[in-house]
Amino acid sequence: MTPFVPPPGLSCGGSCHEDKARTPTMIPGKYRTNPGRITQSNVNCGLHLVIQTSSVPEKSKFELRLSKDSSFHNRLLQHDIEKNYSSRQGDGRVISPSPRNKPSFVPSTTNMTDLCGLELKSGANSLSAFGDSSIQTPTKSRIRQGCHSAGPNVSGDHVYLGSSSMPAFPVLHRSNEEKILYSDRLTLERQKLTVCPVIDGEEHLRLLNFQHNFITRIQNISNLQNLIFLDLYDNQIEEISGLSTLRSLRVLLLGKNRIKKISNLDNLKSLDVLDLHGNQISKIENVSHLCDLRVLNLARNFLNDVDDLNGLSSLTELNLRHNQITSVRDVDNLPCLQRLFLSYNSISCFEDILCLADSTSLSDITLDGNPIAQESWYKHTILQHMMQLRQLDMKRITEEERRMASIVARKEEEKKRESHKQTLIKEKKRLTICNVARKWDMQQNRVAGGPSSSQDGKDSDVPSQDACQMNGSGTCVYPEETGSLDPVITTALQGLAVIENHLVEVDGDTLFLYGSGALESLDRNWSVQTAGLVTTVSFTFIEFDEIVQVLPKLKIKFPNSLHLKFKETNLVMLQQFNALAQLRRIDQLTIDPQGNPVVNFTLWKYYVLFRLSHFSMQKINGTEVTQNDMIMAERLFGILAHVASSELPQYRLLSLLGEVRKKQFRYLLEGKGKKSGGVSEEGNDSKRLCGENTNRATLNYTTRDFYTEKLEEIKEKKKFCKTYIQDLVKEAAEINMKNESLQKLWPQLFIELVRDAVVEIRNKNSYMKLCLQRITDTK
Amino acid sequence: MLSPDRLALPDYEYLAQRHVLTYMEDAVSQLLENREDITQYGIARFFTEYFNSVCQGTHILFREFSFIQATPHNRASFLRAFWRCFRTVGKNGDLLTMKEYHCLLQLLCPDFPLELTQKAARIVLMDDAMDCLMSFSDFLFAFQIQFYYSEFLESVAAIYQDLLTGKNPNTVIVPTSSSGQHRQRPALSETSALEGVEASLFYQCLENLCDRHKYSCPPPALVKEVLSNVQRLTFYGFLVALSKHHGINQALGALPDKGDLMHDPAMDEELERLVVRSRLHRTSQKHRSHQAVAFGFRRSDKVEALESLPSTSTQMPYLCRESRE
Repeated sequence: MTPFVPPPGLSCGGSCHEDKARTPTMIPGKYRTNPGRITQSNVNCGLHLVIQTSSVPEKSKFELRLSKDSSFHNRLLQHDIEKNYSSRQGDGRVISPSPRNKPSFVPSTTNMTDLCGLELKSGANSLSAFGDSSIQTPTKSRIRQGCHSAGPNVSGDHVYLGSSSMPAFPVLHRSNEEKILYSDRLTLERQKLTVCPVIDGEEHLRLLNFQHNFITRIQNISNLQNLIFLDLYDNQIEEISGLSTLRSLRVLLLGKNRIKKISNLDNLKSLDVLDLHGNQISKIENVSHLCDLRVLNLARNFLNDVDDLNGLSSLTELNLRHNQITSVRDVDNLPCLQRLFLSYNSISCFEDILCLADSTSLSDITLDGNPIAQESWYKHTILQHMMQLRQLDMKRITEEERRMASIVARKEEEKKRESHKQTLIKEKKRLTICNVARKWDMQQNRVAGGPSSSQDGKDSDVPSQDACQMNGSGTCVYPEETGSLDPVITTALQGLAVIENHLVEVDGDTLFLYGSGALESLDRNWSVQTAGLVTTVSFTFIEFDEIVQVLPKLKIKFPNSLHLKFKETNLVMLQQFNALAQLRRIDQLTIDPQGNPVVNFTLWKYYVLFRLSHFSMQKINGTEVTQNDMIMAERLFGILAHVASSELPQYRLLSLLGEVRKKQFRYLLEGKGKKSGGVSEEGNDSKRLCGENTNRATLNYTTRDFYTEKLEEIKEKKKFCKTYIQDLVKEAAEINMKNESLQKLWPQLFIELVRDAVVEIRNKNSYMKLCLQRITDTK
Repeated sequence: MLSPDRLALPDYEYLAQRHVLTYMEDAVSQLLENREDITQYGIARFFTEYFNSVCQGTHILFREFSFIQATPHNRASFLRAFWRCFRTVGKNGDLLTMKEYHCLLQLLCPDFPLELTQKAARIVLMDDAMDCLMSFSDFLFAFQIQFYYSEFLESVAAIYQDLLTGKNPNTVIVPTSSSGQHRQRPALSETSALEGVEASLFYQCLENLCDRHKYSCPPPALVKEVLSNVQRLTFYGFLVALSKHHGINQALGALPDKGDLMHDPAMDEELERLVVRSRLHRTSQKHRSHQAVAFGFRRSDKVEALESLPSTSTQMPYLCRESRE
């Protein structure tokens, strides 16, 4: 059986207390003024409880309907609201819930007001049932009249309660006339009953009303096996009991009692409406067999959370207002649930009611009076997650709202993603820096451990530099200016595992370089704009000697860099500052004491000022440079420069200056920044530099590995020169020796020669003859 | 010029002993290194300049350590250059750490070994905290001894250790040394709990050492003088005494007396000029002029105008140099 005739009636119940003018309540009223059209009005409105009862043979089609549609719902939904409650009790319930309905074709509905709005209909098919319900209409009207008479003065006229004769339980008797007239219903409202009376001979009763009594226990009704409707509203019942035989029961109203636990409903398999509002129930339990239950009211109880709602496969309406619910789960297991009232609970975050989003049937939700409803994101989050929703907090959701919600949600999402991205990048940056720092520390320790013995500090530094070059390679820098952030984030996501060894970052006008590998970034093609913007370059965790090698590149790529920062760069010697002289211009220099021992020297600032005086620097380590500083610097080191420039032999001067030039050439050739214009510009620069500052230009810095290289070269040359000079000197010594021997021999030789000559010319005549003879011979 | 020793040795050895070969070798290697530059202005000129600078002691500036320590003359020249260049630091009254002095040394000789500086600092600081501050003169004189006589001091240290541990370092080399010494030895080492070794004994060993030592060593007479003043002394005590001895300083000839250490009028004049110039340079840089040609002259005009110059007599060479630059 699919008896439920959907929304109008039921939904009016939900909405009427919010907006009475809109309730369809009026519609039936209007129709009802025309008696002939009652059935039609039935179709249109009111809660239709169509009940099929096989046990009733003749009047199998039983219709119970009261004109006041809304009040039943008000009961079910709203009795928890004390204000309404009292007013209803005062007049609405007792007298007439809606005076406008009174003049309608049933003038006296007083007794049945509690049921008004409820329509019980018995039939296989509700719609077809309406078709042949012509007899039922008079039945109903009769019932109502009967009810009316049995109302406030039940005991007086028609009903006799034999309370005096039977001390244990009062026995109820009705006159036969009454029985005939209202054979299927009995109202014992406001009878000050403390126990259920024994009702004899009324096995055919279908409707029983014990409202507003003091009953503490459900008793003596197990014989009423045809009972469909049982109303025990406003009693003092502490436990659900005595209902196990009432297999036909469809509507069980137990509101405003003292029930602590849902129990003993095992046999009530046909239950359609279960009202337990205003009790002390702290858990939803023992209801999983109620597969026909459509309305469950648990408002004003002590529920803390909603869970385990399996089996309630027909539930369309669940009222949970005014509990202390913090989380709702399992709602998505209710395939028919359309209306869920969660107002005035303690739900504070959307995650706690996330299951609502998974329900496909929900169309109406109230969440007002919860902390969550105060949140700025409340509405659009709910709307975003529950596209199927038609009403939220009794307000119809417009397309506009839905669109807004989705826009806001999208924005929110984007923002979240962006911030996530940011944090990811930040985190990655942090990790990278940590990693670089660790590597750096390791390196430094190794370096520090190396030269423990003696002067080999330099020698042991050489491998370490090689090592850090190796470290630097084979990683990717995330590029600042590509603009495509998505690849960044993806690499970042993967990259968190593979931590990089260096970091390059442009932040505003500052270029940050962490780790020696970052220096390679100077080879990249930086956009003109970025390069122009950068005025500060910060080096961290990089050997100063490595920085020195890229200074020419820095000069070309970031021509506007005026402020250099060094932190953890192993600046240990004053002479290292010489290297900075080759830059175009420096206004500010910041040498962090961390990892730069040179800063501990008292003279370092003056040396910097002296050596870089041609830049006329403004600030060193944040302090303004004064004229006195400059003079002091000159006083301290001026002589050094003077000696260096004036006392060096010409060839040395040339070679020292030439080295600067040579070095620049060398870098240019090596360096990847092969700009054709760069070379000539470079040349001019160095000329200018030399012209401006010759006496200082001789003070230059060669990085340690270059220097050792140079020393090697010198050694080679020396070796050659040594052998060369050795040979030369030996030769000279030999010559000298020969000469000396000649000198020794010569006097004797000379004497001998003279003697020979003298002997020859001793005989003058014969000598003359001989001479003449020679002359004639030659002729 | 030609000493009679010359005839006692073969030419080659003589030249080597007098370090002539060292300079010849160095000259040639310098020539090789700066071939392009030198060929521009003539090889003869180069040799002239080279040997002139050797005579003046300026040849060691910015050279590698192996060359600087190669000859006593080089060492003396280096000491003198260091004094001249950084006298102002001492004059300023700054006390510096060993590392800072080392840095200054490295400004003149990029590969100057830390070890030598450390040893020199140890003489001043007596092995205490090595991070202490030292005055310029203390360091300079200690450094002088350590640097100039470094090989000698190493041998002395070995001898001292031997003496301390009770071995007689001279037994092999000087077998004639009195056996009395041998007998004294154990007693001595016991009393050496007093610290140090006996001065006279120490001197005997040192005298021997000086005789056979091929490196330069302080004149034995002066060493004797140093040691005759005390009964016992420690190694560092000995070094301190050496470093503070005027005679040794004079014999070495690189540095002026301690009293005159801050005194270098020629350089002071030069410095004054430089300071004035730097001041002008800075101001002129502020309203930066592009006329590089007129620069020197304009500046010198200002110098004259400034009148703060101590001596006007030296102004001419200064101007010449200025224009040469």
